[in-house]
Amino acid sequence: MTRAVVSVVAVAALLLLSSSMFLVREDQQVILTQFGQPVGGPITEPGLAFKLPLVQRAHFFDKRFLEWQGDAEELTTKDKKYIFVHAYARWRISDPLLFFQRLTNEQNAQTRLDDILDGETRNSIARHNLLEVVRSSNRAPSADESNPEEQFVPIEAGRDKIRREILEATASSARGLGVEILDVQFRRINYSDPATQNAVFERMISERRRIADRFRSEGQGEAARIQGERERELARIQSEAYRTTQEIRGRADAEATQIYAESYGGSADARSLYEFLKTMETFEATFDPDTTLLLSTKGDLFRFLESSSP
Amino acid sequence: MANDPLDFPDFDQLRERWQRFRRTTGGGAGPTPTPPGTPQPPWAGSRRLAPILLLLLAGWLAFASFYTVQPEERAIVLRLGRYRGAENDAGPGLHFKLPLLDRVFKVPVERQLKQEYGFRTQTQAGPSSFRTVEEEATMLTGDENVAIVEWVVQYRIADPYRYLFRVRNVEQAFRDLSEAVMRQVVGDRTVNEVVTIGRVEIERDTELLLQELCDQYETGIKVEEVLLQSNNPPEPVKPSFNDVNQAEQDRNKLINEAQAAYNRVIPRADGEARQAIEQAEGYALDRVNRAQGDATRFDALFTEYRKAPEITRKRLYLESMARLLPAVGRKVVVGEDVEGMIPMLSMETSPRAGAAAATQPGGGS
Repeated sequence: MTRAVVSVVAVAALLLLSSSMFLVREDQQVILTQFGQPVGGPITEPGLAFKLPLVQRAHFFDKRFLEWQGDAEELTTKDKKYIFVHAYARWRISDPLLFFQRLTNEQNAQTRLDDILDGETRNSIARHNLLEVVRSSNRAPSADESNPEEQFVPIEAGRDKIRREILEATASSARGLGVEILDVQFRRINYSDPATQNAVFERMISERRRIADRFRSEGQGEAARIQGERERELARIQSEAYRTTQEIRGRADAEATQIYAESYGGSADARSLYEFLKTMETFEATFDPDTTLLLSTKGDLFRFLESSSP
Repeated sequence: MANDPLDFPDFDQLRERWQRFRRTTGGGAGPTPTPPGTPQPPWAGSRRLAPILLLLLAGWLAFASFYTVQPEERAIVLRLGRYRGAENDAGPGLHFKLPLLDRVFKVPVERQLKQEYGFRTQTQAGPSSFRTVEEEATMLTGDENVAIVEWVVQYRIADPYRYLFRVRNVEQAFRDLSEAVMRQVVGDRTVNEVVTIGRVEIERDTELLLQELCDQYETGIKVEEVLLQSNNPPEPVKPSFNDVNQAEQDRNKLINEAQAAYNRVIPRADGEARQAIEQAEGYALDRVNRAQGDATRFDALFTEYRKAPEITRKRLYLESMARLLPAVGRKVVVGEDVEGMIPMLSMETSPRAGAAAATQPGGGS
C-alpha cells in the first residue's frame, strides 16, 4: 500500500517537474502565458528555463531570419510593360510579445506580410519604368567591336533604391506586428506578356542584323581598300623601277658618250683616225660571201698594180 | 520546416510518446496483482527484470555519450539548448557528450558545396545530362533584352553556428540571394556583354555582391566561386546572334583574302623592280667599261699613229682589205672607162647563181 502511494507521488512529482522546466534553444525565443494572458517579458536567452506547471504555457518562436516568398505577380510598370515579379524578403520576429499578441503564429504573419509586401511592391513597380527595376547603376556598358557605340538609357532610381523604398514603406507597419523586415529583393523579373516578349525578340533580332550587316560591309570596305592599296603599290613599284632603270641607263650612256667624245674627238687627227678605223670596221662587218665588190683600178688597192706594170 | 536541420523530438513530443506507451501497455507504475491461475509471462517478476533493464540502460548511456565527427565535418554542441562558443566545437574524431543534456549538430565545413541555377544535372547512370530550368535562367538585361543565363555557385560553410542558428532554411535563402544577385548584375549589362564579352566581370561582381549579402544575412556561407555555364540569347534570337558571328568571320575572311591578294602581288613586284634596277646597273657597267676599253685602245693606237700617220693608215687599210676581200663572194675589177656597167650589175637578183656567167662577159670583154 505504502509502495503504491510512494510511486504515485513520485510519478506526479516527476510530471510536475518536467512541466515546469523547458529548454530554450539557440534559435528560439519564448513567451509565457498564464491562462492565455502573457506574463513577463520574452525569454530570448538560450538555456534551461522555468515556468509554473499546469497554469503557464510556453510559446516558442523562431529567433532566426525567416523567409517570405512573394507569388509571381503580374505587375505593370510606369511605362506600361507587363512583367512577372518574384519578390522575396527576409524578416524576423523582433518583438515576440507583440508578435504573439497581434499574429499568434507564423501562418498569420505570412498572410499579413503578403498583404503588406505585395501591395508595396505593386505600388513601387507602378511608380517606375521597367529599366529602373532592372538596372541598379548608370554604369557604362563595356563595348566590343560588334557594338562600339553602345549606350544605356540613363536611370534615376535603380533597383537598390526601389528595394529600399519598399523596405521603408513597409517597415512601420511591420514594426506594429512585432516584425522586422531586413531586406526585400527581386528574385526574378520577366516579361509576362507574350506579345511584349515577341516584340523584344524582334528588336533583338533586328539589332543583331544591324551588327551583322555592319560587319559584312566593314569587310567589303576593308577588302576594297586593300585592293586599292595593292594597285597603287604595284603602280608605284613598277613606275619607280622604270624611272630608276632609265636614269641608270641614261647616266651610263652619258658617261660612255663622254668617254668616247674625249678620246675620239681630242684632235682633228684623232677624229680622222677614228673615222678611218670605223669605216674599216664597218666594211669587215658588212662584207660576206653574198657581197659583190666592184673594185676600180683607180682605187687605192690597184694603184700599186698599175704603177708597177707600165 | 521539413528539411530544417534543427528538427528533433523535443520534450513535449517525448512526453506524448511516453504517455502513448503507457496507454498501450495498460501501464500502472507498480506491479499489478495477477489473478492466481493465469499463466505468468516469462519476464514477470522484477528480480529477473532489473538486471536486463540495467544492462539496457548502461548500453544506451554508453551509446548516447559518444559521437563521431567525420573528417570533413565540424560538430556544434548545444548544452541545454545553449551554444557555449566556438572553443567547444568538436573537430573530426570520437567525442564525449552528456547524454540528454548535449545536442550535437554536425556540419560539413570542409566539403565544397554546389548549387546549380538555370539548369539541373541529371545524375542517372552514364554521362551526365543537363536540363534547363527556363524560368530560373531567363533574365532581363540592362538594354531591356532577354538572356538565358546558367550558372553554378560553389561555396563552403565557413561559420557553422551562423549557418545553423541565424537563418532558417538557409539553403533556400542562399538560392534566393544568388538568383537576385545574378539578376541584379545582369540587369546592369547589355545582352552583348552577358552573352559574349562580360562573362568574367559578371562572375566576379556576382561573387562579391553575393558574399556581401551572405555576410549581411549571417548565413555563415563563404562563396568560393561563381561560374557561368552557358550564357545564351533566347532561342528565337539565337540564329541572329550566330549570324553576327558568321558576319564577323565573313568580314575577316574578306579582309584576309584581300590581304592575301596584296601579298601575292606586291612582294613579287618589289623583287621584279629590284631585278630591273640590277639589270640597268649591269647595263651601265657594261656600257661604261666598254667605252673606257674602246677609248683606251684608241688612245694607245692614236699615240703610235701620230708618230707615222701616213704609213700606219696605209697599213691598216691594206690589212683590213687582206682580211675582208677573201670573205667577199664576188669581186669585179673595173677599169677607168667601164663605169657605165655598174647599174647593170646591181640589177642582178641572185648574184651567187649567176656568178660565173656574169664574170665571164665582164672579165672577158
